[in-house]
Amino acid sequence: MNKAVKTLITVALLLAFAGAAYFSIFKTARLENANSTSLSGTGPLAGLAGRLTGTVPVEELSGVIALDVEPYFQDARVQKRLADLGYRLKTTRIGSRDMAARVVKDQTPEFLYASGVVAGNQIVDAAKKAGVPATMVSPIYTPMMIASWTPIAKILAANGMAAQRTDGIWTVDMAKLTQAMLDKKRWKDLQGAQAYNVNKSVLVSTTDVRKSNSAALFLALTAYAVNGNEMVTDRDAAQKAAGAVLGLFKRQGYQENYVNGNFDDYASIGIGKTPMAFIYENQMVNYALIKRGLGDSMVLLVPQPTLVNKVVFVATTDRAKKLGELLSTDVELQHLAVAFGFRIAEAAYFAQTAKSAGLTIDEQITQVIDPPSFELMTQMIDTISQGMAQ
Amino acid sequence: MRYPLRSLRAFTLALVWVGLAACKDRPVEETTTTAPEKSPVPTLSVLATSDLKDAQPLEQMVEQATGVRLKFTFGGTMESTEAVQNGSTKADAAWFANAKYLLSDPQGQSRVKLQEKIMLSPIVVGVSESQAKVLGWDRPEVAATVTWSVIAKAAQNGQLKYALSNPATSNQGFMALMGVVASVAQKSEALTADDVDRKAIAGFIKGYKLVGDNSTYLTEKFIEQQNTRVNAFINYESWLLSLNQSGKLKEKLTLVYPHEGVATADYPLLLLNDAKRAEYLKVVEYLKGDAAQTWLARTTLRRPVNSQVAAAQSALFPSGSMMVELPFSTDRVLADGMINAYLNEFRTPIASTFVLDVSGSMNQNGRRQQLVEALQYIAGDDASLTGRIARLTSREKVWMLPFSEQVQSPTFFQVPQSAALTVAKGMGNTGQTDTAAKQRVLGQVRDYAEALRMSGGTALYDAVLVALTSMNAERQRDPGYQYSVVAFTDGEANKGRTLAEFKTAYAQLPEDVKAIPVFMVLFGEANEQALKELVTITGGRLFDARKSSLYSVFKDIRAYQ
Repeated sequence: MNKAVKTLITVALLLAFAGAAYFSIFKTARLENANSTSLSGTGPLAGLAGRLTGTVPVEELSGVIALDVEPYFQDARVQKRLADLGYRLKTTRIGSRDMAARVVKDQTPEFLYASGVVAGNQIVDAAKKAGVPATMVSPIYTPMMIASWTPIAKILAANGMAAQRTDGIWTVDMAKLTQAMLDKKRWKDLQGAQAYNVNKSVLVSTTDVRKSNSAALFLALTAYAVNGNEMVTDRDAAQKAAGAVLGLFKRQGYQENYVNGNFDDYASIGIGKTPMAFIYENQMVNYALIKRGLGDSMVLLVPQPTLVNKVVFVATTDRAKKLGELLSTDVELQHLAVAFGFRIAEAAYFAQTAKSAGLTIDEQITQVIDPPSFELMTQMIDTISQGMAQ
Repeated sequence: MRYPLRSLRAFTLALVWVGLAACKDRPVEETTTTAPEKSPVPTLSVLATSDLKDAQPLEQMVEQATGVRLKFTFGGTMESTEAVQNGSTKADAAWFANAKYLLSDPQGQSRVKLQEKIMLSPIVVGVSESQAKVLGWDRPEVAATVTWSVIAKAAQNGQLKYALSNPATSNQGFMALMGVVASVAQKSEALTADDVDRKAIAGFIKGYKLVGDNSTYLTEKFIEQQNTRVNAFINYESWLLSLNQSGKLKEKLTLVYPHEGVATADYPLLLLNDAKRAEYLKVVEYLKGDAAQTWLARTTLRRPVNSQVAAAQSALFPSGSMMVELPFSTDRVLADGMINAYLNEFRTPIASTFVLDVSGSMNQNGRRQQLVEALQYIAGDDASLTGRIARLTSREKVWMLPFSEQVQSPTFFQVPQSAALTVAKGMGNTGQTDTAAKQRVLGQVRDYAEALRMSGGTALYDAVLVALTSMNAERQRDPGYQYSVVAFTDGEANKGRTLAEFKTAYAQLPEDVKAIPVFMVLFGEANEQALKELVTITGGRLFDARKSSLYSVFKDIRAYQ
């Protein structure tokens, strides 16, 4: 290529950018009007300053995000929509449990998008202690599920632990399943286990509770079961419940210590390694959307009761707070989250998307419990961690 | 062809940079998830285990598809694990068959920034078809019930004589032992040291006839010795399927997937250097994509993790009964105890003659000192992952045989057995701490090395012949040992027999001597070609100590003994 061509290309690129910049200003202006009642934020001022100086008025925000939402922010459609709304984000993926440590006076990221309430609460707690203002919204959520296989679901059903509803949804009784696991039942001990006649203990695979939000939620669910179907509300009960379910984690042996590890094993190695995996529903929905359906005999079991994992957006500045509101209310940004398997306030849209991927999902999950308080959850995780290390 | 392409790419990149520089203030629509690339050609260096050599063509494929220049360096499982764990590797990423041992250690975990599984291959037992028939394992309904305990029993009663990578240095060997432990304990979960049935392990090891540290070496030997000394090969499914396809075997292998004891290698690619996150993510995306997954499945016969490709390529892989996975115990006491116990108690003990060049040329360039230090190292107390493999183990017999103008007289050492264990189960403290008696012998070896003096010529072939003859005689006397000859030389053989004369003499030795490999270590001005020829005749392997230190070569040799 000669110099002339090079110059031409540069000019063409510049023109394209100028066009984009123009649109960006236009959109931002519209947004400002829409939000004219809001006094908060440096946005309008930055926009004004931008127009006066001729630079582009784009809100540049930096924050840390959990792996769960990273593909969402990397998606070109999401980026375009955010740009249209006047946002340019600089995101760094870190573990949710590491986020609370990033809360340092005057150095806290503007937003922290954690994979769940457990980590979200840790962040808010750290912010309170550090005197950093923090607000929490939950733009998207996903219920906790057990990914399993039809033969397994049938064995559980034959032993009164699971049932298939008339609408095709499989449910699993957490109290009974937890008891079977605590009794160290092996698959071959169960009634009608011909299809999975193996020595393996009946256990639900989780990721490492010391690292992961989903495993912490499994701890909450099983603690609820051993506490007589009531959530623990005091330290003694929490201690006792955690002690009782320690084996359900320890007996698993090696646990994957990254978020998708457990689901990857389920999906790629299969029933021989992972008969049951405790997962976020969005992992399975996302898988089905990409693969246009589930693999042979893959099935979702809805724990009775289950927990709903709220993906938690913590803002530490006013403009980040506004971003959080947009993530929760902008229809396009909300719909795009469904493309990654998450549920949104608009239940019908989620249901329709899941159906399009050939998935039978429980549209109205009714039996839902809340996790224990932040302090008790932390205490239980500590108890399990100590037990695992011994 | 490569260079013009590369320069074109560099030019295009430069153009992009110009564009970017000119338009700094444009509204960027992409989120920045990583630091900007510093060099114009992004690179990713990867420390991979040697069983991944067949995946090396990926270097070019990745670069073409992603622009990231991928560079593999290969190493053994344990040495690579150690390099990641202690942070001594400079590689940006690591690619292992199995990283569970590394990741069950907090320090190992802290080195790994991101991980993604790339492909799968279960560890299986390949049995010569005729022997599979004898055992009844040719019938699928029987094969489906074969557990590691059944395999251990067949090994114990002499029906299964197998080749396997060293349990102390390889994933295959280690997981096979774990399979036996779990199967005999009738436990599928969270094994601990207390679950180890020592008799069962000892029985399994009775069938361990072909030892080595890498699959290429084992395969060469296996092809030579199939159905004479060995009739089974325990390795990855991918390796055995390839071997069956190669047409080099005397007869094909029937693949047996241990019932409730399959250990699947899941080949995680581990990011170590956070600054290379962008490159890493690009490479992972490509490796998990259809093109790379299909290539890996067809060319290397490893199972894809991408389930669509897995479905499309399923005809490549046997589809038998369900493979029930062996859980991996995170108990380090068990893992490290097993390795130590394997070396010091379970394994067939090592008996070897160290043929030591003490000719005058050894006084040059610090070679004598290197040899002395290497000998002192194996009699030392390095407790690191690789150090414990290099050390002289309990029960081991060593004859030091120096030579220069002539072959001198041998000096014999035997490392005493660890205190006898009275329990049938559990790991006790096998081999983990040395008894005073063991310490004493190790001290004698160190003193012996220090006293070595060098002068005169190099009667190498005579010395090797003496060593082989004496090892063969020892073997008649005590067949319960694994015999080998380890020879060091730094110069051309110039005294005694020539190579041709050695060949003639070797041919006249009893047939049994073929079971005693000769491991040659060359340094200095040794004649590489001649030594290569020697190990081809005698079996064994040539190790080059001209570039790496003698004691690191020693670590390698030990895994073959």
